[in-house]
Amino acid sequence: MAALIEVASPHSAPTAPPRHAIRILLRSPMGAIGAAMLLLALVVAVAAPLIAPYDPYETVHVTIEDIYQKPSLAHPLGTDDAGKDVLSGLMYGARVSLLVGFSAASIALLIGGLIGIVAGYRGGRVGSALMRFTDFFLVIPDLALSIVIVAIAGQSLTNIILVIGALGWTTTARLVRSQTLSVRERKYVLRARAIGAGDRHILRHHILPQVLPLMLANMVLVISLAILAESTLAFIGLGDPTVISWGQMLNFAFGRGAVSAGAWWALLTPGLAIVWVVLGTTLLGTALEEALNPRLKRHHLEKDRSLAIPPRSAADLALPAPTRDPNGPILQVRDLAIEFESPSGPLRAVDGVSFDLRRGETIGLVGESGSGKTTAMLGMMRLLAPGGRVVGGEVLLDGEDLLSLPDAELRAVRWSRISVVFQGAMNALNPVRTVGDQVAEAIRVHEPGVGRDVPRVRAEELLERVGIGRQRFDTHPHAYSGGMRQRAMIALALACRPEVIVADEPTTALDVMVQAQIMELLASLGREMGMGTILVTHDLGVVASSCDRVLVMYGGRIAEEGPTSTLFSDPQHPYAQMLLASFPDIAAPDRELRGIPGTPPRLDAMPPGCSFAPRCPAAFDRCRIQRPDDYRVAEGRRAACFLLDPEASHRG
Amino acid sequence: MKGRAAYLASRVGWALLTIFVVVTFNFLLFRILPGDPARNVSKDPRLTPATVAALTVRFGLDKPVLINTESGNPFDSQYFIYLGSLTRGDLGISYAFRDRSVGELLGGALVNTLWLILPAQILSIGLGMVLGLLAAWRRGRSLDVSALTFSLFMWSLPTFFLGIILLFAGSSWFGLPTAGRITVGAEFGSYWEELADIGRHLLMPTLAFTLVLLGEYMLIMRSSVVEVFSEDYILTAKAKGLTTFQIIRDHALRNAMLPMVTLIAINLGFTVSGAIQIESVFSWPGLGSLTVSAVRDRDYPVLQGAFLLLAIAVVIANLLADLVYGWLDPRVSEA
Repeated sequence: MAALIEVASPHSAPTAPPRHAIRILLRSPMGAIGAAMLLLALVVAVAAPLIAPYDPYETVHVTIEDIYQKPSLAHPLGTDDAGKDVLSGLMYGARVSLLVGFSAASIALLIGGLIGIVAGYRGGRVGSALMRFTDFFLVIPDLALSIVIVAIAGQSLTNIILVIGALGWTTTARLVRSQTLSVRERKYVLRARAIGAGDRHILRHHILPQVLPLMLANMVLVISLAILAESTLAFIGLGDPTVISWGQMLNFAFGRGAVSAGAWWALLTPGLAIVWVVLGTTLLGTALEEALNPRLKRHHLEKDRSLAIPPRSAADLALPAPTRDPNGPILQVRDLAIEFESPSGPLRAVDGVSFDLRRGETIGLVGESGSGKTTAMLGMMRLLAPGGRVVGGEVLLDGEDLLSLPDAELRAVRWSRISVVFQGAMNALNPVRTVGDQVAEAIRVHEPGVGRDVPRVRAEELLERVGIGRQRFDTHPHAYSGGMRQRAMIALALACRPEVIVADEPTTALDVMVQAQIMELLASLGREMGMGTILVTHDLGVVASSCDRVLVMYGGRIAEEGPTSTLFSDPQHPYAQMLLASFPDIAAPDRELRGIPGTPPRLDAMPPGCSFAPRCPAAFDRCRIQRPDDYRVAEGRRAACFLLDPEASHRG
Repeated sequence: MKGRAAYLASRVGWALLTIFVVVTFNFLLFRILPGDPARNVSKDPRLTPATVAALTVRFGLDKPVLINTESGNPFDSQYFIYLGSLTRGDLGISYAFRDRSVGELLGGALVNTLWLILPAQILSIGLGMVLGLLAAWRRGRSLDVSALTFSLFMWSLPTFFLGIILLFAGSSWFGLPTAGRITVGAEFGSYWEELADIGRHLLMPTLAFTLVLLGEYMLIMRSSVVEVFSEDYILTAKAKGLTTFQIIRDHALRNAMLPMVTLIAINLGFTVSGAIQIESVFSWPGLGSLTVSAVRDRDYPVLQGAFLLLAIAVVIANLLADLVYGWLDPRVSEA
């Protein structure tokens, strides 16, 4: 599934190159607004002596009438508790806020960056000691500590900057450490080290370029925190008494009767000035982070937007029209089409897949990664990864179209009649619930009438059947081995005795002995329970030993279909021929193995004609223009290749 | 069960170590920085020379700081005297309220602070979880967008400023009191009337605190839920034919709580900072107000005690969060 998402969203690289990031940033309205807000504050701060109507540092004689004057032409934002112009105070206050923000953030970034890089790059004891040190600072309430330190050390701007900087580095350190750790383990860094690059070279050429953009985004957020911290200290009365800052203006107004005098201008404006700057930095920082680290923001519980569009007329298809004969195939898929959203428009991942599955039969669905095998299977059950949807076709389970079923009825069908053995069972099982409970849950949901104890008893039997044993019912998935988890997944899939079971790469990442055991288990249980099984795999050896029929998939279509023995001995489609030739055969150990040159087409660059044409040694002009239909090769065999067109004179 | 006990022991051990470091750090902080209490005691014009001498002896300020190398007893130093008096719960005597012990002052203030923090925390965690969950589920829709905007704005609003706005609004529109815990000099007919008066004082501070915390919790819950909703086991639950409600209740919630618990713990410092600001705006007589007034009066024993209490409270709350995490996530405690 992970691979699919990568194909579907080609822009989800974990860390985009900086130049790319800046382009995204400028296009995002959030980043542009934030940058503009911050820029305005900066300009005001720099130009304060030129544009401020009064000099707030000048001592003037003040009479009682000057205090808390309402906004007027002479004082656009009124006067404060000392009769001074609020607007001028705000302009000069911007200098302190920004100065403290930038300098404290620089200190914090320097400390945090250094600790993070050393902890991440060195690792080991030094690394864990540094992280303990960071953890310690993380629990100390930082405002309380900065109050204490400033109160003892003295209320100068330097002390305030030093304290805020020295307490604000923890998030940076954690962030930089995890990024350094991940970069350190990347292949190109390991390679550089293997060929003898020194620490200095690796740090400068590999670690820093990956860490600095991240620190830049972090810096913006640290600045906003520093500005907030400064204003809070000043409000509490711990600001530098020799300079004007927004927090201090609020402190004076609040402490000297602005509330009772109703002088909202003296209270609101300094607060809003702080909000302006912090909001600006936060917007900019959020946009930066988004640009550097675009997250996958889709999830499985979004509304399913699949469409039920009946397939093209049956005459177009090489397979017979679907039947409702009770002895007919249990599953009939016709012209299934699936698309994924992408920034450049919808991409077709599955394009007209049709096949039948008979009761008790096992078919193998094979093809390279990215050929659409898993997508087709998930699409059948309307379980597509977020962003994907079925755009056409029919999926008849015992004559009932799954694509047009209302949600409630679809839920009733799922698992009780068609279930899945997911690949990578570690993530497919919920880590915080016991394995047995997850099996019993399926029975509880689909057979609510069986009473309270039956689900547990049946789940225990299932765990026994798949070779786990009932005593491990109450164990969590993390305590299972890889093979055990896969067995648990099979027990889960069998829980409601479904008619169809889809096994998606059930043995990937398991060792060979366990693979054989799992496949044997699946096949024997399938035969015993009379289930139809679809085995999705790229392991042709597994298919040869356990499948009745084979579907070879390429570029979202079925390239060839046939009984396992005849298709393996006499493949018709060039892709099937090359796929089989690339796989070792125990019966013919001397045969030369040949890989398939080239790579499967990307979804956003599908060739107009046959999707295999660019890699096909036998391709001719027609293949590059027109898409081949299915041609019947023999009884129960078909292939989508113009070489098999009986009406065409070859290589015309 | 063995894993659970080991996990418990390691967390408690880490908390104890942190408390020890905090205590030492707190001691050194007040001895190393310029303007240390010893010099301040002698400079405080409000004290008579006799008191200064008494205090100097009382705090053992005439003794070596860390280890006594001169006399035969190495533990006859300021540090060990400090540790000793701490174990007896003796935090010294306030300079500003000269007849009261620091411990007594802190105890009363702590109770008031809890009155402010607990309702606000419970409200904001509950609301934050519900709203964050809804925002994640309805990702990209209007509820989600308004939740994000609210969080962003709350983040940018200094806590004390929000407090001032609410204080202003509460007193001018609803006639709510602007300061303190209870109406001074008022006579109450019954305990309930007294409680109602405290409630009126508590209303706006609690609202301010809840709003401040809410934005943060909502944001955390939202991203945590979005993360969990895109996990493979949610797909499994969906394939099993569970309803969206069942998936959220039985498969998503507990997993989404994990980062939430961690971040609530990490944000405890943020809670303390919020309490200090809200208390000083509304003159709520809690630890925050006590800290601020101790700063104003240069009342070092109270300042030192308040900081120690706040830091230890955060360490203990962190420990609790760790234990809740271990209880929620079997991978941590059963490993």
